[in-house]
Amino acid sequence: MEAVLSLAPGLPAASQPAWSLLDDPAEWPGFGRALEPGDAAGRWESQVVVEGMHCAACAFTVEAALMQVPGVVSAEVNAASRRARVVWAAASVKPSRWFEACAAAGYRLVPAGDMLASARRARESRLALWRWLVAGFCMMQVMMYAYPVYIARPGDMSSDAAQLLRWASWVLTLPVVLFSCSPFFRSAWRDLRQRRIGMDLPVALGMAITFVVSTAATFDPEGPLGHALYFDSLTMFVFFLLTGRWLESRLRERTAGALDALMNRLPDSVLRRGADGDFERVAVRRLAVGDILRVLPGEAFPADGRVVVGDTSADEALITGESRPVARPCGARVLAGSHNVGAVVEVRVEALGPDTRFAQIVALMENASLQKPRLARLADRAARPFLLAVLVAAAGAAAWWWQADPGKALMVAVAVLIVTCPCALSLATPAAMLASAGALARGGVLVRNLQALESLAAVDTVVFDKTGTLTRDTPRLDRVYSRQGVRPGDAVELAAALAAQSLHPASRALVQAWNDQHRLAPDWVPVQLAEHAGAGLEGTLSRGGGGAGRRLRLGSAAFCGVAPLAVQAAQVHLSDDQGWVASFVLAEDLRADAAATVAALEAQGHAVWLLSGDSGAAAREVAQRAGIALVLGDCTPEDKLARLKDLQAQGRAVAMVGDGLNDGPVLAHAHASFAFGRAVPLARANADFVVLGAALDVIPGAIAQARRTLRVVRQNLWWAAGYNAVCVPLAIAGWLPPWLAGLGMAASSLAVVLNAARLAGRPLRAGAA
Amino acid sequence: MDILFLLIPFSVVLVLFILAGLWWAVDRGQFDDVEGEGERILRND
Repeated sequence: MEAVLSLAPGLPAASQPAWSLLDDPAEWPGFGRALEPGDAAGRWESQVVVEGMHCAACAFTVEAALMQVPGVVSAEVNAASRRARVVWAAASVKPSRWFEACAAAGYRLVPAGDMLASARRARESRLALWRWLVAGFCMMQVMMYAYPVYIARPGDMSSDAAQLLRWASWVLTLPVVLFSCSPFFRSAWRDLRQRRIGMDLPVALGMAITFVVSTAATFDPEGPLGHALYFDSLTMFVFFLLTGRWLESRLRERTAGALDALMNRLPDSVLRRGADGDFERVAVRRLAVGDILRVLPGEAFPADGRVVVGDTSADEALITGESRPVARPCGARVLAGSHNVGAVVEVRVEALGPDTRFAQIVALMENASLQKPRLARLADRAARPFLLAVLVAAAGAAAWWWQADPGKALMVAVAVLIVTCPCALSLATPAAMLASAGALARGGVLVRNLQALESLAAVDTVVFDKTGTLTRDTPRLDRVYSRQGVRPGDAVELAAALAAQSLHPASRALVQAWNDQHRLAPDWVPVQLAEHAGAGLEGTLSRGGGGAGRRLRLGSAAFCGVAPLAVQAAQVHLSDDQGWVASFVLAEDLRADAAATVAALEAQGHAVWLLSGDSGAAAREVAQRAGIALVLGDCTPEDKLARLKDLQAQGRAVAMVGDGLNDGPVLAHAHASFAFGRAVPLARANADFVVLGAALDVIPGAIAQARRTLRVVRQNLWWAAGYNAVCVPLAIAGWLPPWLAGLGMAASSLAVVLNAARLAGRPLRAGAA
Repeated sequence: MDILFLLIPFSVVLVLFILAGLWWAVDRGQFDDVEGEGERILRND
């Protein structure tokens, strides 16, 4: 542990919050970023983890406490992921100020993105486990002491023995009340001090009343509160509640935490070659561009870079959505956040921190995980009046039963307090949506906007853009015509040898065509070459690097001095000193999964459209191959937007799939939008969902996932509302003993989180829902 | 039956001892990663 902490000098020690250390501007980039780079006194956005938060109502309190600090511009807290995003002005406030303000409200903040957060989380989870073990063990023993009293007939047991059993129960209930229940009491007390009603207040009241009634019965059996003991009920429902909370937090770490796990993929430290050539372990934030790193198998690459020694393969699932490891031989680029799964390699750092694609992905996901979808805000607003109503109902029930039996009256009130579960209500939406966002991210689709999951579930029309979406960026070699005596294969070989020197899409298509057929490089080697921009390539090739050279031109018909072919498609020609050698007809390369994707979307009941800026004939040709019936070519971006608005005016909910670059306004107007994030800087992709890989078939998968998510959210909300509607009246009527109420409440929140967890495990490419 | 007056307090003390033992185990981090320790033998690093 010392080794890990020593990598982060200057951070506050775990036991003593020295928040003033955070006022050093050098620490700020560690957990946030400047919104106005260059301006030292500008606004900063910081990510922090909130401790001691149990439910959604706490999120409100933390937000309010932060917003009270002058200089804090905005604060958003997500209850499910326990992370907060704070925007503050460096000119008027220091971080320590709002850290302290939040601590005064009873919640500690920990800068996210440093290792203390995880060390602290480990400590918290140990404490929670220990609380649960104490409650469970004491519960079992208290049951033993309660059992004789239940089965003994009058006169079976001496009053001394009965009294001894009561005392023993009381002694073993003490640790449960004082230690295991302390989180409930502490958070209830915190709420009371702030004159608020929190979700733990009813539960804490219930525990306190039960303990007081039973203690009075232990030491004064003739007193006004009767002689009935409820230590067994008390320890049991505390145990149930803690079990529920513990499982819930484990599940939350697995589902909402799936996002966390993706974000925290970069290693803390890495082996760097020092000036003397030896490798030493340093913190990742000390790295600089140009450093040589040694990355071991199983480690994540900490920065974008190039392999300089060794060959390996990398798992880039998060970055590109490609689930199989890809070969990364010496000289290949590797991406931060991908895992080295092959062999030990040395890597030269080319980009670090916020410049890496990984950092862009993380920034997108962090922002999305902090949003509160509409349904979640509704539930949060309903939670407070609901709690107030519960307190009133409990008091009313107690007053009603008091005449008959004061002891029973208090227990009825306790049952009402314990059985209510607003937690389930406010967890219903965020738990499901975050679980879903995590599953989508693992499948290569980043959710930029949680609210969009709701819109996507309602979509009935999918509109595709053509280039870069339905088709690949590079065309494909379709047909070859060659001179008498020249075999088409030889013509392709000659053309590929020339084209290998160029990055033009047509050149890439020719090289690709050669590589698809042959494993070796072309036998011809260019000895001299010139590229004429916009026209073609001219060069001399020699076979095997020796012998007489052959002068060739590759490019447009005019450049090669030949007659163009009478076809609609793009074409490239090859000529030598004797004139025409060959012509290559290129076709737009439809993605392999385009037709299957369109079929899957239609099977889901969507109308599929193709809107393209290309000529009508080319658009129709692609549409026909992909199986799309509704197609419109020659569209300017304005035409596309008008067409989209037409569809929306007809009452259709439209999802737009584009490359995220030229069709930004169209994407922004659609109900839900997908961008293929390959070519685009992610932060600029103007879409709700960003597809990281090249596979189209994630789109029907994502739509099916969104529908499942909404279904789960609806189930959760109905379950939470129905549970409370049934159980609260039962408790008021006195039919629900406190232990059953505790079981009910724990089961209710657990059911909501379990239901949401179903979304996390589904594979994305399952096709139609 | 008199033995009960010894056994019941003794059981209370025993419970407290067992709880202390559990505390020792939790505090040493024995439950932090229940699956990982078993899998460790399969990893080759």
